[in-house]
Amino acid sequence: MAIIELKNVSYKYPLTDSPALKNINLQVNEGEFVALIGPNGAGKSTLCYTIAGFVPHFFKGEISGTVEVAGSESSKSNLHEWVLNVGLAFQNPFNQISGAKYTVFEELAFGLENIGVPRDEMIQRVNDAMKLTGISDLADRSPYSLSGGQQQRVALTSILVMQPKVLVLDEPTSQMDPIGTREVFGVIRAMAERGMTVLMAEHKVEWIANFADRVVALHDGEILLEGTPQDVLTSDLLVEKAFGISRYTSVARKAKELGLWKGNRLPVTLEEAMDGFAR
Amino acid sequence: MNSFSMYVARDSGLHKLHPLTKGLLTLLLLVSGLTLPGNWTGYFLVLLVITPLAVWGKVFRSFLRIVWGISLPFILSVVIIQSLFWGSGTPIFEYWIFAPKVEGALFAVISVGRIILVMAGFILFAMTTRPDTLMISLKQVGVPSSLAYIIVTTLQIIPRFQSKASTILDAQRSRGLETDGNVFVRARAVVPIILPLVLGSLVEVEERAIAIEARGFNSNKKETSLIEIPDSNAQVFFRKFFVLLMVLSILARIAWQLLN
Repeated sequence: MAIIELKNVSYKYPLTDSPALKNINLQVNEGEFVALIGPNGAGKSTLCYTIAGFVPHFFKGEISGTVEVAGSESSKSNLHEWVLNVGLAFQNPFNQISGAKYTVFEELAFGLENIGVPRDEMIQRVNDAMKLTGISDLADRSPYSLSGGQQQRVALTSILVMQPKVLVLDEPTSQMDPIGTREVFGVIRAMAERGMTVLMAEHKVEWIANFADRVVALHDGEILLEGTPQDVLTSDLLVEKAFGISRYTSVARKAKELGLWKGNRLPVTLEEAMDGFAR
Repeated sequence: MNSFSMYVARDSGLHKLHPLTKGLLTLLLLVSGLTLPGNWTGYFLVLLVITPLAVWGKVFRSFLRIVWGISLPFILSVVIIQSLFWGSGTPIFEYWIFAPKVEGALFAVISVGRIILVMAGFILFAMTTRPDTLMISLKQVGVPSSLAYIIVTTLQIIPRFQSKASTILDAQRSRGLETDGNVFVRARAVVPIILPLVLGSLVEVEERAIAIEARGFNSNKKETSLIEIPDSNAQVFFRKFFVLLMVLSILARIAWQLLN
């Protein structure tokens, strides 16, 4: 059953002439993990904001078409009701820290305080969420004293604790080092395995190949390709349109030109590449 | 607790008092210091009320240091200006055009008592009250939560702002910006440092607005609070009592002024 449904969505930011999204049609099923890829300016962040309700409720501008999540329609809802269904996390972990709290535990409770969750339930939910994302040991630290990866895991947990139906992630690892990336993806994987619907804009193609059920490639505000990670991430169209592709795909593509590639399809991950070259 | 705040964590009875009880007591001390008759009221209140409270709060030494550090420039300027520019009276000594007067010095000492009272009151309050608990208690008596949020985040963000400014300073220096030298060289260096700082902060403000919005900041539900602030019937009584005393001392002052 589709939990996210976009029909003919086009959107223009205020004071701009060209649309950031053009005629987007997208369905995401409950429990599905969908990755959004695309070059800078392709509309990934705008699409994330649209599903999370910030377009148009926060950014204003002109929107047409319908955006539905869990049966309710964005244009007929308020942002503060919408965020209960859709959680949003984005790039810069530092700016996602509320700045009003002194410990990670209090920081995680911030959203629950805002939506009026009783104190006992609040403590229970924060503890559960910290266990799920493996940050229980950070509970008493100041959110500002953490590393980028730890801060981003706190930011993700602060959204998770609100128990949204859908999680929208806008390049959550783009400012992380490899260790931070692994930590953050570990959290995302844990959520996906628990059946949460996830929509994630991401550049790190090899991670996407391991995680996503489906990949949507955006270009110039339009959906260019849509399908399984294997099909989309190895498509020739991506090279043509200057998308970032996996280094294993690039190597195998070159090898194929030289007649050295024996696999039946181009690889995205290291394992697939090794498998192909070993034949 | 990495924050721009004077708060000193201690396990003391004063720390455990409800923020509003302490806040109202501080206000009461200020009001009575300024309205009660007598030249030495300020000194008496500092010595007989605030100092014992600072000892009870286990912060006496750092309290003394901060009060001294902040009040000293005020005290010096008041004493110098008042004694030198007092119109007529008995000169203490005369040298060239300077002739400080006894009456001026006396007036200065009285004013200093009031300055120290105001400083000491607020400093002790700030040292023993966590800003976030103050905000929670203010929200409970009806201060809008967005105002409370702005105040607490400002306290937390000032140190971040400082460290960002020094990062920008280093970055601009490494591109050849002159920051050392005479006044004009330094003044010219301000723009390339302030501009990125301000523009960067504007971008940050938008992101932070999105982040807190995503966590239900504008929800119309009644807010709850993780931190519980201990209160007691005795404290509720004392708070009412403090307000009453404040009103009375102001009325007494007005009456006294009218009768004379």
